[in-house]
Amino acid sequence: MAENEALLQCRVCGCLSHAPTQLKRFEVMHCPRCGARLKLAQQSTSVEETWALLIAAAILYIPANFLPIMSVYMLGAGQPDTIITGVYHLLEAGQWPLALIVFVASIVVPLLKLFTLSFLLISIQRRSRWRQHDRMRLYRITEYVGRWSMVDVFVIAILTGLVQFGNLARVDANLGSLSFAAVVVLTMFAARTLDEHLIWDVAQQEEELT
Amino acid sequence: MQTILYADLIASFMSVSAEPIACQECGQLHRYSPLALGKTANCRRCGALLYRNRPDMLDSVLALTLAGLTLFVLTNVFPLLGLRAQGAEQELHLLGASLAFWDQGYPLLAGLIILNIIIFPLFELLTLLVVVLTIRYHWRSSTAIFLFRWMREFKPWGMLEVFMLGVLVAVVKLGDLATLIVGAAFWSFAGLVLTMAAATTLLDPFSVWRALGKNNG
Repeated sequence: MAENEALLQCRVCGCLSHAPTQLKRFEVMHCPRCGARLKLAQQSTSVEETWALLIAAAILYIPANFLPIMSVYMLGAGQPDTIITGVYHLLEAGQWPLALIVFVASIVVPLLKLFTLSFLLISIQRRSRWRQHDRMRLYRITEYVGRWSMVDVFVIAILTGLVQFGNLARVDANLGSLSFAAVVVLTMFAARTLDEHLIWDVAQQEEELT
Repeated sequence: MQTILYADLIASFMSVSAEPIACQECGQLHRYSPLALGKTANCRRCGALLYRNRPDMLDSVLALTLAGLTLFVLTNVFPLLGLRAQGAEQELHLLGASLAFWDQGYPLLAGLIILNIIIFPLFELLTLLVVVLTIRYHWRSSTAIFLFRWMREFKPWGMLEVFMLGVLVAVVKLGDLATLIVGAAFWSFAGLVLTMAAATTLLDPFSVWRALGKNNG
């Protein structure tokens, strides 16, 4: 946002509008062009909301990795698999490209998202001016890459939908897949609620004060 | 050097009355000035794209949207994958993949997947259609503004290309277990992913918002 010019920029459509000189209690501003809600920097609860979503995601990350996500039964025999054992089975079968895709999408990306978003939040709260361009780029990458974690959930959906041959072969979904999907959804919401302009704004406001 | 300074000088005189715009990335203020065909404008501070002037943007997006809607219907009507094992056969439709979790007792997950691979992509295609027609025929734009705003908000939640990767992973996984039949919807689905990616790349949100904002009211 461009607060120093008393102008507000809409996050959705980019339209500029003049900030009102005074806001009544509970009064809400809307973008004159697209109608999305506008917030002043001091009204922003972005950091708190993002922390809440991140903490929820971090808690759910534990059952997502320790509970089984799906079970494959062949001729009556089989056992539930967690994400890690699933990757291990793929490696055993010699399908290392697949193992790599699943490992990156299901383990590396969610962990990386939890860490980078926490790092960005802490740097915003500490009013850091350190490498703002790079932190902005880091945010963009985190925001973009998060949705690809859903690939494991889709694979489970396709396998359970397709492999239903009774005793011969069957794939069932397990509770871990629900926690895993919840982690992906929560981190996606967290990336969305984090107002990336705070990375710039803090430095700007301090420049004006000094 | 001389020419650049001179150009800057002219630009600053000409754009006194031009509308102010701000970079979506860093908030840097600029003044809007129309571009020559095929040119792009970037933020002078952070280099982010501000706006473009693509030749025939509206017509290309309209063509891609109509193709996308056709492929969307085909993808939902025909089976995506089939599996044959010991005489028995199973078929999977796009909707079936979403509902698989429902049968397993996870209705929340089923709902999420239906949103990801059916509702949001369809919403995006229909919105593009309405937006392009609204700009082309100078209709009142309040509906298009409403739809376009929510389409932009929902954009990350439409996950066709992620699902495509999921299909490929599943195909490789099942390949050595049983006879896999690749359905007609598999190909239309691949086409749909490409069409929607092309429409997203061609569409310049700034130009769309500007055009919609003018027709408003």
